Amino acid sequence: MRLTKTMRWTALAACTALAISACSTSGGKSATDQASGGSGKKGGSISVELGEPQHGLVPQNTAESEGSEVLNALFSGLVEYDNDTSVPKLRVAESIESPDATTWTIKLKDGYTFHNGEKVTAKSFVDAWNYGANQDNAQEALPFFDKILGSDELAPGKGKTPATKELKGLKVVDDKTFTVTLKAPFSQFKTMLGYNAFFPLPAAFFTDPKAFDDAPIGNGPFQIDGKWEHNKQIKVKRYENFPAAEGKAKLDSVTFKIYEKLETAYNDLRADTIQITDKLPVSAMATVASEFGDRYIYKPESGVGYIGFPIATNPAFANADVRKAISMAIDRESITKTIFSGTRKPADDFISPIIPGYRKGALGDVAKYDPAKAKALFTQAGGLPGNTMEIGYNADGGHKEWIEAVGNQLKANLGVEVTYKPFEKFGAILTALGDKQYSGAFRMAWSMDYPSAENYLRPIFSKIAIDNGSNYGGYVNEEFEALLAKADSAKTDEESLKLYQQADDVLIKDVPYIPIYTYMSSAAYTKTVKNVKVNAQGQMDLANVELA
Amino acid sequence: MGRYVVRRIIQAIPVILGATFLIYALVFLLPGDPITALAGEKRADPTVVAVLQERYHLNDPFFVQYWYYLSHLFTGDFGEDYRGNAVVDVMSAAFPYTINLALTALGIEMAVGVTAGVAAALKRGRFIDNVVMISTLMVISIPVFVIGFVLQLVLGVKLKTDYGFDFFPVSFNEEAGFRSYLMPAYVLASTSLAYVARLTRASLIEVMRADYVRTAVAKGLSPFRVVVRHGLRNALIPIVTFLGMDLGGLMGGAVITEGIFNIPGVGHQLFQSVYLRERTIVVGIVSALVLVYLFANLVVDLLYAVLDPRIRYE
Repeated sequence: MRLTKTMRWTALAACTALAISACSTSGGKSATDQASGGSGKKGGSISVELGEPQHGLVPQNTAESEGSEVLNALFSGLVEYDNDTSVPKLRVAESIESPDATTWTIKLKDGYTFHNGEKVTAKSFVDAWNYGANQDNAQEALPFFDKILGSDELAPGKGKTPATKELKGLKVVDDKTFTVTLKAPFSQFKTMLGYNAFFPLPAAFFTDPKAFDDAPIGNGPFQIDGKWEHNKQIKVKRYENFPAAEGKAKLDSVTFKIYEKLETAYNDLRADTIQITDKLPVSAMATVASEFGDRYIYKPESGVGYIGFPIATNPAFANADVRKAISMAIDRESITKTIFSGTRKPADDFISPIIPGYRKGALGDVAKYDPAKAKALFTQAGGLPGNTMEIGYNADGGHKEWIEAVGNQLKANLGVEVTYKPFEKFGAILTALGDKQYSGAFRMAWSMDYPSAENYLRPIFSKIAIDNGSNYGGYVNEEFEALLAKADSAKTDEESLKLYQQADDVLIKDVPYIPIYTYMSSAAYTKTVKNVKVNAQGQMDLANVELA
Repeated sequence: MGRYVVRRIIQAIPVILGATFLIYALVFLLPGDPITALAGEKRADPTVVAVLQERYHLNDPFFVQYWYYLSHLFTGDFGEDYRGNAVVDVMSAAFPYTINLALTALGIEMAVGVTAGVAAALKRGRFIDNVVMISTLMVISIPVFVIGFVLQLVLGVKLKTDYGFDFFPVSFNEEAGFRSYLMPAYVLASTSLAYVARLTRASLIEVMRADYVRTAVAKGLSPFRVVVRHGLRNALIPIVTFLGMDLGGLMGGAVITEGIFNIPGVGHQLFQSVYLRERTIVVGIVSALVLVYLFANLVVDLLYAVLDPRIRYE
């Protein structure tokens, strides 16, 4: 009977504590209150999972998933991407047009205001982009402006100071119109504009950029409520003056609860302390489907995992047939099933499945597991010197298991001696490759910045990406470059897509990197909410979420 | 006694200075550049990296960088991290949580550990003694994160979903106040608690055999007075030493517990900062922890005199 006594005690203590906390919190009914009140109610508050963003909440200084998740609730860009097809739709822009893919005229809709009441004008965009493109401001998203005419003057490089503060290619025509001139034709420019680097900034930002870090003033469906409480939470509430025609947020407020461990967030989800998470721990994968049923969302996401080769610096990997043979000796199906419990899918194109332009099975034989053919091709191509191969990976991201699985398959199927080299972080691999201290194969991944086939080609495999992008292997192919340039200046979307696919075909022939898997995004939500959608970047569409 | 305290405080200064130097050097020696670490897996723009490296003097030699740090420190400026947050803000945001957690844990250690130890010592060889000995052995041998996740699942999730008993928050929740600390504090304290119980038991058994205890019993004192005044007080010296040292460990060593229960405290911050090579934060936090150790040690030494009047500091 002692147990019941203590239970009574703790219950009493709990009631007191609850009473106290009830006094201390003001306004806004909690999710559970609302849920018990009935179904389909307007308003309400929920909490969702987030990791601590790396930088202050300035759109031009954010190039990682957690910060941009918050920014997407606080800001509206010129375009936004469809949750299912990733096709760009006009948002703040009334129209985005260009006769030649070089000069773009952007017209804005009426009605958008910043959360401090200021109108969103052409100047809000131009000023923001000028700020982001200026190297003195050291913004993470600086490379996204390098297609705009005049970007070199604002980012002249190390040790130099920019001579001007304005991009030559940006011109304000009137309050609602501005033009953008690019250095060269780029058909995908419109698609790029949904990325957070291109969000507008209010005049208030420029008087005190520092204050913006923790309390940004955006033009999105939600506005910040208080300040970012580091490592704890970011609260946002509905922006009442958001143009009604553009879809106001349905909830009263959302709290981004910041977690260090996904396991903890998942336990909070099960206890309904948070209502949505767009990332699940691997340990949950086995049971989440049965526990959450149709409230578990499982769909392809933008990430691709590769095995890369330092083609430029290590002649051993220079032969495309060697790379192809290695690719054919890897059993992608078993790796994604047994090691990733379905959180990855075997890759079958260089372009991600979520992108317009993806072709199922485009990689063909290159990605087909065929040990006998692989061995034959490998021997015919001359194999590897000393019959050894080294694979490097960063030890901080759970890559050991799958890299070793790949290694074991290569050992068994090609008969090569495989050794592994763990690096502390991915950055350490890059440094070692750059300093030529390491010349083995390496693990590599890419996730898109904007949903265009081009984003899976140029930033990873083009000549310009060797210094200013993610072409860590140093792959160069003039035919590929020419096709990209042609696709950039194409008049129609269909035409450019076709040309990008031809560039993709060049990669499939050369296999500069071996695509191994594409990521699946997995999200889950509790019974308290409905209308939860996750886009291709794995981010929640919070404005449309409602209480159930 | 006053002079003794002053002397100890003066002695602490070189220790602190040495500690900052050592930590600064260690973080400096770690491979990897903090600016690229912030960029994650995508390559940061080389121009941006160069501008930031210059801004934070990252290309200067070690001693130049250390000098920048020290000279700012003497003017009371702890500097900022590579994201532009003031180190003082970061630390003052994190420390209250850790102090609350560590003190709650210490309280649990003292209350439960000492009580269990006394009970076991007095009923030596009996059922309760065996229970204490076996359960403490189990706690010592189970890794902390297992205890943490199991308790979180059982008390946090299951109790709420299956029985509607919503007392223990799954993870840290400001609005739940003190309740938020109970589970993590117990997890954090669990290993030390087991040691305290065993230490108390051994020490008390020893003391209870002493002549003065036998005298006290012969005088006809009440059993409570014999055990607490004459037995426990004399048995406490090793336990106080252990608890004093443990306070520092509880504050700095809560990385795992703070991670499981998502407490935005020092351990959490320290872990992230080491990973991101945030030198100023690491040095700031570690120096503060060194201070805690020194202070706890001083308190322990002073407590000796209280427990045993024969010990004096002139």
